[in-house]
Amino acid sequence: MEMKSNTSGKSRQDHEKKDLIIAVAGNPNAGKSTLINAIAGSRLHVGNWPGVTVEKRSASFEFKGRQITLVDLPGTYSLSPYTQEEVIARDYLVTQKPDVIINVVDATNLERNLYFTMQLLELNIPLVMALNMHDEALQKGLIIDTEKISAMLGCTVVPTVATRRDGLDRLLEQAVSFATDPENHTAGHVSYGEDIEKAVATILSELPAYSSVPHTRWLALKLLEADVQVMQASGISVNAPFLGKATRHLRAAHGEDLEALMADTRYALAAGLTREALQKPQKRKRELTERIDAVVLNRYLGIPVFLVAMWLIFKLTFDIAGPFTDWLDGVVAGPLTRWTSTLMALVAAPDWTISLVTEGIIGGVGAVLVFLPPIFAMMFFITLLEASGYMARAAFVMDRVMHAIGLHGKSFIPLLLGFGCNVPAVYATRTLENPRDKALTALLIPLMSCGARLPVYVVFTGVFFAAYAGTVLWSLYILGIALAVAVGWLFKKTLFRGESPAFIMELPPYRMPTMKNLMIHTWEKGKHYLIKAGTWILAISVFVWFGLNMPWGVESKKDSYLGIASQTIAPVFAPLGFGTWEAAASLLTGIVAKEIVVSTMGQVYIPETEEEENQEAPTVGEEIKEIGVSFIGAFGNAAKNVFSTVGVATMSAEEDEETAGLRSVIAKAFTPLSAYAFMAFVLLYLPCFIVLVAMRHEFGSWKWAGVTIAYQTALAWTVAFVIYQGGRIIGLG
Amino acid sequence: MTLADLKPGQCGIITKINVSGALKRRLMDMGVVSGTTVRVEKVAPLGDPMEVHIKSYQLSLRRGEADKIDVEAA
Ligand SMILES: Nc1nc2c(ncn2[C@@H]2O[C@H](COP(=O)(O)OP(=O)(O)OP(=O)(O)O)[C@@H](O)[C@H]2O)c(=O)[nH]1
Ligand SMILES: [Mg+2]
Repeated sequence: MEMKSNTSGKSRQDHEKKDLIIAVAGNPNAGKSTLINAIAGSRLHVGNWPGVTVEKRSASFEFKGRQITLVDLPGTYSLSPYTQEEVIARDYLVTQKPDVIINVVDATNLERNLYFTMQLLELNIPLVMALNMHDEALQKGLIIDTEKISAMLGCTVVPTVATRRDGLDRLLEQAVSFATDPENHTAGHVSYGEDIEKAVATILSELPAYSSVPHTRWLALKLLEADVQVMQASGISVNAPFLGKATRHLRAAHGEDLEALMADTRYALAAGLTREALQKPQKRKRELTERIDAVVLNRYLGIPVFLVAMWLIFKLTFDIAGPFTDWLDGVVAGPLTRWTSTLMALVAAPDWTISLVTEGIIGGVGAVLVFLPPIFAMMFFITLLEASGYMARAAFVMDRVMHAIGLHGKSFIPLLLGFGCNVPAVYATRTLENPRDKALTALLIPLMSCGARLPVYVVFTGVFFAAYAGTVLWSLYILGIALAVAVGWLFKKTLFRGESPAFIMELPPYRMPTMKNLMIHTWEKGKHYLIKAGTWILAISVFVWFGLNMPWGVESKKDSYLGIASQTIAPVFAPLGFGTWEAAASLLTGIVAKEIVVSTMGQVYIPETEEEENQEAPTVGEEIKEIGVSFIGAFGNAAKNVFSTVGVATMSAEEDEETAGLRSVIAKAFTPLSAYAFMAFVLLYLPCFIVLVAMRHEFGSWKWAGVTIAYQTALAWTVAFVIYQGGRIIGLG
Repeated sequence: MTLADLKPGQCGIITKINVSGALKRRLMDMGVVSGTTVRVEKVAPLGDPMEVHIKSYQLSLRRGEADKIDVEAA
């Protein structure tokens, strides 16, 4: 490798305290995001499966008077990208020219990681190696001679344990030193052998136009490999005579496939270096991961373990969260509403503002906020799956099934994430190599019942199916999954014909997640729901309130603007069993986000004539005490649910007076059959618009968002129709 | 003999990869290159894909792909 041209070094020294950009690159799952979080105090998404980071993210901080930006790149196995997120990593490295690269290397997997290091070195950007997962390497009894690696590659090698922050200070010192003072660090030269080097030299001599590019060596090597994207970008044809001339000898000596030759050469070097620097223990221990997998991926146990794991997640989510939801519901609908209206009356606020705040805002936003417990619980378990390493196993176990419906084992990960929230799930499709898979997976994601739909189910199951709420809740999730299988199969036969691509995935070792990390990442996932409540849902609640109270002084809500608009579309829902204007208004506003269905109901279903609360109002002191007592009670109930029930505990089974308002009205407005049809409709009808925007963003056009809207609307209507009319025929309603 | 013919627990040395294009490059980038030893660890409960140990990590791939990777007995 050539020495760094010294012009850039000189100019850097002139303004000493220049801001620095440090790119963090390496194989997937090597710990790049963890390392950045530890250094910069950021909260980038971390998970124990390859392909967590799919977008370039950065974190900045102050270091010795400098502004340092660490750029987190998606993990990649080589600089010849295969998946979309790998393209992002390579494009960044090649076009943005960071001041220095921190190459995060998984010490337990030296050879494959060094193969990538070889390619980074071709870029001729100063490089510091973080020999990460050093704790696991030691535990395996691996002894790594960092001096040897350092001497051969000409870069500093710093052993690190990103999760424990070990070695990170030194790593950062070294990175800054390499970036600011490259002349003091001799770059190593990795020779690819006489034949290749000769060909490279020939190409370089013919590339005067590109000699200004800092990484001409990389360019020459990519031309030699005939990298399609580089060829296109540089405008050089594969048939360019000078390329033919440069590679003639190579082809004659090593065969036509120069790409394979390059891979072999790099791997040979990586293997050689590994042999030199790595000392393995004499006897290999049977590792924990192997022992766990012997059960989890066992021929006979694999599927049962998978099903039990999924079932446990749902059971625990609802068992633990249920009592807390009841508690929050009580607090919001009772004391909070009362206190607010009393307070506002005290400051002589006009009546309409009191109504706006209590009915519109507390009624609307509050109806959604009470579902924080199950949503956070669900996010917690998804984080646990991600952090432990089971996520990749689930993809492995499910690949066969996914393949049958035209998908890919890896599609399973976005689909599972979809149960938390569909939006990140759509972005997670990026790890799928092929556009066909991506699109098909994204189309099916909205059928995974996300946390936002839960409030609707809980309200309805509580009213109509209190005795077997768990089963009904389950049936809705299963309905979504079953329809995804059917729709996937249908799409495979129509829109997405053709071979589904290969499944090649690394299975990471199991890792014990720390409580702190679980908490951070659960919060990072769940906070979006809170933000949504404070923005969209708040705005829509206010909008709905005005819609229901305008024209000003309207007597009945039915004659309000929203009432009239809803009445016109209500007949569409009549064959489904819920052709009322109230249901139509809820569904209409629910397009923004599905929780809004409930929050709008909280407003439209308030009894028209205020029932006067004649009973003695409790004092503030009593109420606070009651809130505290019932909160402690919720813990007891949660524990009881977890240990005493085999099925999924019912949520909000007990009928408490505070929340009886909405429930009693709904009980009159629906029958159990129409309630079930309504829930199925909410599950299936078009995804919230944030998901549509995510699809647009991910696919660069509205095409797939459009397909989703069309097929889901049709599906929702048909399924609800079949449920309601079918149910009536067999005499259920 | 191909990788797909190996039973769990058996090892082989890769001799040739009979695919082309991006898939071949991907396999090579992940360490599936001639001369490398692979050991079949497991077959998924439903019969596909399989898990192999290569270059000190666990890789999973479908039988369809494994069938295109020639190996010789180790
Ligand atoms: N034991 C141990 N685990 C680590 C270390 N560094 C990271 N991890 C764990 O390794 C897993 C992967 O970490 P990430 O930071 O998500 O890896 P990444 O390189 O960003 O992965 P991608 O974004 O998928 O490319 C997580 O479970 C981390 O907790 C380490 O030094 N030691
Ligand atoms: Mg990452």
